[in-house]
Amino acid sequence: MRMKPADRRFHWSFLILFLMVVVIAALAIGQYTLAPSAVLKALLAPAIALPDTSSDAGIVIWNLRLPRIAAGLLVGAALAAAGTAYQGMFRNPLVSPDILGVSAGAGLGASLAILLGLSLPFVQGLAFAGGLIAVGTVYWVSGLVRRHDPILVLVLSGVAVGTLFGAGISLIKVLADPSVQLPSITFWLLGGLNGASREDLMLALPLVLAGLVPMILLRWHVNLLALADEEAAALGVDVHKLRRILIVAATLMTAAAVSIAGIVGWVGLVIPHVARLIAGSEFSRLLPTSILLGAGFLVIADTLARSVASIELPLGILTALVGAPAFIWLLARTGRSG
Amino acid sequence: MSILQTRDLAIGYHGQALGTVINLAIHPGEVVSLLGPNGSGKTTLFRTLLGVLPPVSGQVLAGGRSLQQWPQRKLANLLGYVPQAHTGLFAFTVEDVVLMGRTARLKRFGAPSARDRHIAQAMLERMGAGHLAKRRFTEISGGQRQLALIARALAQEVSLLIMDEPTASLDFGNQLKTLDAIEQLRNEGLSVLISTHQPEHALTISDRIALIRDGELKAIGPAQETVTPASLATLYDVAEHMVAGCFSNAF
Amino acid sequence: MGMNRRHFLGLMGALTATPLLPARADAAESKQLLHLFGDLPPPSQVQRVLAAGAPAGVLVYTLAPETLLGWPMSMQGEKSRVVPEAYRNLPYLGRLAGRGSTMPLEKLLALKPDVIIDVGTVDDTYLSAAKRVHQQTGIPYLLVDGSLEDSPQQLQDVGQLLGVPDRAAKLATYAEKTLGVIDTMPANRPSVYLARGPKGLETGLPGSINTEVIALAGGRNAVQVESGGNLAQVSLEQLLHWQPDMIVTQSAGFFELAQSAAAWQHLPAIKNRQCYLLPEAPFGWLDGPPSVNRLVGINWLANKLQNPGSRRSDTKLWADKAADFYQLFYGTRPGIDIFAGQTVRL
Repeated sequence: MRMKPADRRFHWSFLILFLMVVVIAALAIGQYTLAPSAVLKALLAPAIALPDTSSDAGIVIWNLRLPRIAAGLLVGAALAAAGTAYQGMFRNPLVSPDILGVSAGAGLGASLAILLGLSLPFVQGLAFAGGLIAVGTVYWVSGLVRRHDPILVLVLSGVAVGTLFGAGISLIKVLADPSVQLPSITFWLLGGLNGASREDLMLALPLVLAGLVPMILLRWHVNLLALADEEAAALGVDVHKLRRILIVAATLMTAAAVSIAGIVGWVGLVIPHVARLIAGSEFSRLLPTSILLGAGFLVIADTLARSVASIELPLGILTALVGAPAFIWLLARTGRSG
Repeated sequence: MSILQTRDLAIGYHGQALGTVINLAIHPGEVVSLLGPNGSGKTTLFRTLLGVLPPVSGQVLAGGRSLQQWPQRKLANLLGYVPQAHTGLFAFTVEDVVLMGRTARLKRFGAPSARDRHIAQAMLERMGAGHLAKRRFTEISGGQRQLALIARALAQEVSLLIMDEPTASLDFGNQLKTLDAIEQLRNEGLSVLISTHQPEHALTISDRIALIRDGELKAIGPAQETVTPASLATLYDVAEHMVAGCFSNAF
Repeated sequence: MGMNRRHFLGLMGALTATPLLPARADAAESKQLLHLFGDLPPPSQVQRVLAAGAPAGVLVYTLAPETLLGWPMSMQGEKSRVVPEAYRNLPYLGRLAGRGSTMPLEKLLALKPDVIIDVGTVDDTYLSAAKRVHQQTGIPYLLVDGSLEDSPQQLQDVGQLLGVPDRAAKLATYAEKTLGVIDTMPANRPSVYLARGPKGLETGLPGSINTEVIALAGGRNAVQVESGGNLAQVSLEQLLHWQPDMIVTQSAGFFELAQSAAAWQHLPAIKNRQCYLLPEAPFGWLDGPPSVNRLVGINWLANKLQNPGSRRSDTKLWADKAADFYQLFYGTRPGIDIFAGQTVRL
């Protein structure tokens, strides 16, 4: 069922076209009403002079919408890539980037920062650190248990540590000031890009890239993790080392994404799945497909989040609302044709 | 000189030895079959020979060096492993599965080249499965999967193939095709170590047969001399006349 | 809807308990704010009061701090510095709020309060939770309904019950005077954005309890959303569209962000230096908890809206006025340093 080269070229150009349409639509849509001509003018302004941030259109496009769209692309790509790597690594299509507790850890970090009344950089920093600590704990715990299937032990440790950190979040919610801090914590846990700025991008981009590079370099070797450990080993792969590298890479990306966007579910679970339906299971084709789809999907969800209602809808709700029905439709469709 | 050799090897898990020491050598171009009842330690021995499981004591030597000193990638150029035909979870194409055999020959951060694809296709054709290349591995039959997995080991360009019950759960025709493929490999100079539950298969293809039980090597020697109704009766804990009856009926 | 609920509440009161109406001449025309389960001891014997939540904690503390058994909210660090030592070290007891309670009922019994007081917008859930606590413990439970607008009456009613009618009258007068400032506001009202959360992008919708201060000070909520509700998230793009004249916040983290982050600098309120960080010690000026502590916020904001130009000289004056409020309500006169970190920004 693999595509012929011509099909594959079509597949890439279709994905890139999809992404471009999404970005252009996202640039044109928003609460601040701008005529398409004004959007175009503001976009083209830098070709003539510097970005024109004196007019409202210039500000909206260059300082608000573009950083936000870029953040959406980055977060979507990061979550989808991490989900793709984890699904291959855990040999399970129902795995999401949260499997090793990164979201629970980030949630605890951010909640703690809000409880302590810290400023935004600390909220983001503690969220990032919390994510790393949670996954580090999971890895450490799984190392203590030797006599079982390492994958199973990792997943179970992830569940246990995730629950532990989740309990921590609940405790902080109980302790938080119900009129001031509690709503902030709740909003953060639901995810959102409404504060996304260039500063956020500058922080998250290098981390996401740092996680992406090993995935690209090891694009072929990751495939072999779908095999039984001794099978992969006999084919020349150091399974444990490869798994360790992937966990670090995926965690770095997810934690960076979550620290600027809050907890955005569903992307890392569904997008790799959809990508697999399009591109097959081979990781070097699957990864870029997944990244392009994830980036586009998140920008769609965020554009809806900021435009369908007169207030901002939490992004995590939108990704579930858009993603779940699309996913069910795809499953049903492929079920029939397959 | 032998390709793979064990020296006073004790196998087992978590430092607990299963049975006594095993001394075994596989020579170039020979097929050795491993017979033994369920739980006799065949799988444990294979895992140890592949270097996945450390020996409890003693050594496994490949090319005169202990297996533990071999880098994983280098070892994969010497030893190939053909597992029991599994379905796998993700829908890789048969070509992709065979290409995985090239992994140890790639650059550290590389992906298969056109040459690798060419080799993969050639190996599939050698197994008579060239037409399967673009099919999904999850959607072909068990026998076809077994052939694809052998093609993968061939693409690996190894000197010794270790095959775990290659005929298990295959129908009669596919069993014969698989046995035929193994003969063909031997004729091309490869060494093969297989485990099987069917003594008649072992007798058909093997130069030597090893009997293993309770983690101990009970006997090893030329096929016809090692496998007798008496030795099988002892090995599998059945009465001798039952084995003899079964053999006379079958052949 | 309001009518229906009030009606229903009245009915509930009549059925389940003796509705307690303080003997006041204008009782007939004033709203019925109090809902009582059980029988109250006479005011002179109310010595031990348990505040069920933070708003009640503030109300009881301002009227009769000596009766307060402990704080329903954490009073640590910055917040406690303003409170006189005797009350600073009262234990943190947790809150009593149905399923959201953090105080065990047994601890409640061990404290032996004469009455439990809760303040806030009363709904059926709260009524039933209060009724249950009363039935289980036998302790009289007083629910004080109403918004910030009702605070003069809340102060007076609760003051009567706690046996401090004179003090209550003084506080109620301040409250009434404060609430009167809205009548002096011009028709063209400046718009005010309430920035909450570390990003400053959480806000109270018009009509929400969180923005009562803005409404009562004569400001117009900058958020132009018709849908009901309390808190919501908005985006910078919307703020750019709404163009608030002024931004108020209690979040020091956001205040810093608003000064430094490039994207915020395009808002006229930031450009014109009309972004203000308000104190939250011992209780917030805008919110947190939503109780009589917000009266000082109304006063400040009304003044700011009427005299947007004056800045430096204002600060000193405002430190004095705020200190007057603190003296009257919290029984302490903080030095100007208590607003350190804030004074500059007032």
